[in-house]
Amino acid sequence: MRSPAAAIVWELGQRRRWGLIAVTGYLIVLAAIKLWVLQSGRRIDLDDESFALVVIVPLAATFIYFLAVFSFGLSGDFAARQSMYPARMFTLPVPTAALAGWPMLYGTATMAMLWLATRVFTIWPSDVDVPVIWPALLAASLVAWTQALTWMPYPLRGLRVFVTVLWLVTIDTVILIALESKAHEGVMLALLAPHVPLAYLVARFAVARARRGDVPDWRLGEIARAVRRDPFPSADRAQTWFEWRQYGRSLPGLVAILLPFELALLFAFSHTPELIFETLLLVLFTPPFMAAFVAATVAYRMTPFLATRPLTNGSLIAAKLKATMWSTLVAWLLVLVGIPLGLRFSGAAPVVMERVHRLFEVFGTPRAIAILLLVLAALMASTWKQLVQSLYIGMSGREWIVKASVFAAVSFLAAILPLAVWISRSRYAMAVLWNNIPEIAAVLVLVKLSAAVWVAMRLHDKHLLSDRTLLLGALGWDVAVFALYGLLVWIFPTLLFHAYALALVAILAIPLARLSAAPLALAWSRHR
Amino acid sequence: MEAPSTVSESVITLSEVTRRFGATTALDSVSLSVQRGVVHGLVGANGAGKTTLIKHVLGLLRAEGGSVRVFGLDPVADPVAVLSRIGYLSEENDLPGWMRIDELILYSRAFYRGWDDAYAEELRKGFALDPTKKIKSLSKGQKARVGLLIALAYRPELLVLDEPSSGLDPIVRRDILGAVIRTIADEGRTVLFSSHLLQEVEQVADHVTMINRGQIVLSAPLNEIKELHRVDGRLLSLDEIFVARVGKA
Repeated sequence: MRSPAAAIVWELGQRRRWGLIAVTGYLIVLAAIKLWVLQSGRRIDLDDESFALVVIVPLAATFIYFLAVFSFGLSGDFAARQSMYPARMFTLPVPTAALAGWPMLYGTATMAMLWLATRVFTIWPSDVDVPVIWPALLAASLVAWTQALTWMPYPLRGLRVFVTVLWLVTIDTVILIALESKAHEGVMLALLAPHVPLAYLVARFAVARARRGDVPDWRLGEIARAVRRDPFPSADRAQTWFEWRQYGRSLPGLVAILLPFELALLFAFSHTPELIFETLLLVLFTPPFMAAFVAATVAYRMTPFLATRPLTNGSLIAAKLKATMWSTLVAWLLVLVGIPLGLRFSGAAPVVMERVHRLFEVFGTPRAIAILLLVLAALMASTWKQLVQSLYIGMSGREWIVKASVFAAVSFLAAILPLAVWISRSRYAMAVLWNNIPEIAAVLVLVKLSAAVWVAMRLHDKHLLSDRTLLLGALGWDVAVFALYGLLVWIFPTLLFHAYALALVAILAIPLARLSAAPLALAWSRHR
Repeated sequence: MEAPSTVSESVITLSEVTRRFGATTALDSVSLSVQRGVVHGLVGANGAGKTTLIKHVLGLLRAEGGSVRVFGLDPVADPVAVLSRIGYLSEENDLPGWMRIDELILYSRAFYRGWDDAYAEELRKGFALDPTKKIKSLSKGQKARVGLLIALAYRPELLVLDEPSSGLDPIVRRDILGAVIRTIADEGRTVLFSSHLLQEVEQVADHVTMINRGQIVLSAPLNEIKELHRVDGRLLSLDEIFVARVGKA
């Protein structure tokens, strides 16, 4: 390698070579399918679901992956004040313009090529007129701005997330409005053309600032410093505070960032009931969805500092669970305060109230209230479950387990999604599935309980949890299952659903095996 | 918590401890006893097995063969009873960077019954640490001082220092040696001090164990070691003895 440009592209490519090989492989498969279709003279029209599955989902995943790769976002702290540009590169004998310029050039070129390849190699629905140039320019603009805004040092922690999300959403919104207005391609190009040069100037300024160690600070921390903290009453409370400060604030923070944008849609759709309810669904599913995102992105590390805290493995896990509960409650508090405010000020409240009254008329007041509370509790429980159900993977401290679990999850989704689409289209398959749901649920229950018994025996044998804790845990789980079962039997008529089917649902819904495996995984990581 | 044991009792006992990482044998049937009230220096080249041994003492590694007892307890089976009596400072010094110094002090004091607020404040002032500073904004030397404060403020029965002086300036190294001296000034307290800076070990250690390629090549009181290695009537330095011993091994 004789030039900095070659060295930078080599580093970007070498570190992410497996991801790049996977993307290239996907594009080759797309091209091969299209060639075969063209040569055989067949006509293939994909429906919406198949097209989304084969093209949109992989393309969107690749797009997000490239955003992270070219902004160096896979190895940095997105919420930190410091620039995410790798500090080690600041000492290279290269001008700042090149430090900002080469990764931006590679990023924008790769994004544009990704679009062009998708445009050329994909079998598009015949009724869609797919443009060539402006989407490539849009993709390039988005990666350029992501780079510029993530490389910028900020005066407040978390401000990068807010600024980046806000600016990218603004660009997308402008383009969507232009599309709605049926803007000519020339207009689209004119709208998008200035973005890459402007982003480059911002990126150059950002890298220059970061390179000279200039990180602004609004010192809002001074306010916190003025508040005197009392000593923690116990080690458990101190550890819960630690978990909350380190990981717990991520979910409420993300929900707080997204919520205003989602609720703003109520103002735009206040006269269309269907869109109001779709917006409310979006808002209600934000905490569980973001919880899954947080759980997937948080890297739990058992550092020697943490491992040498004089706490049992059970106490360390309990602190994590408590912090995730706080996280869930704060995130939902934001949603529960935000929704009425959004409905009230957008004028959409009467539409929603009218539907609520209808629900009360159909089910009767007690049942309707129970259904609404059950839905809310299910969503909250789902949010918490998303945060904790993969703890045992992260707590194992083994990178190969984390990678293998991601691979297994992606493979499972890749297999189950086409299967689900196929079943939904086949009446026979649907009938077989419907008739055998109890048997399928029974097998799942058997697997879950067997795993739980195995985990409980290991916890007991290794003295990781006391007999009392194990008994209380089992008792608490039983109570939760019976309570849910009772509620389900009360709400849903047993003429429609067998009571045993509702019992199986209750058993499957309450977390057990994976949650109890967390102390086992922690002990494995803490005492290697 | 158990009552303090008698002076002659072993605080740490390793019996035939073996540990492998893949094809590498990090500890090979190591047996070691650290007596209460002594400063025990653990010396060896980089990669000799010092940190692996210390991690077994802290229960961060589980012995594949043999047994580890600290205060008569298994540190893996009973981490709370063992760790609540140990002060630990490592070369890595992985204190959470997002905490402020005052937050770290409040957080740490919750874990130790014997935490001494006055002593912690005395150490903080002595080390010139600003309580409102974040850990990540501190220099390496300042971080070492914070780690030392946290390790000392509850007057632990056993102080474990794993290469604490590595890469630090002479002033911070002086603080660390001062901490060792202060700890042993309290009767019945024990220090396990690993280092490859042998002059430092020589200044404070009562007993020295030399480790090389996972095996103990020499373990004896410092005076005895020096007497054994007298050349032409001249006492050799620990550096010279180490080179002579490990060079042969």
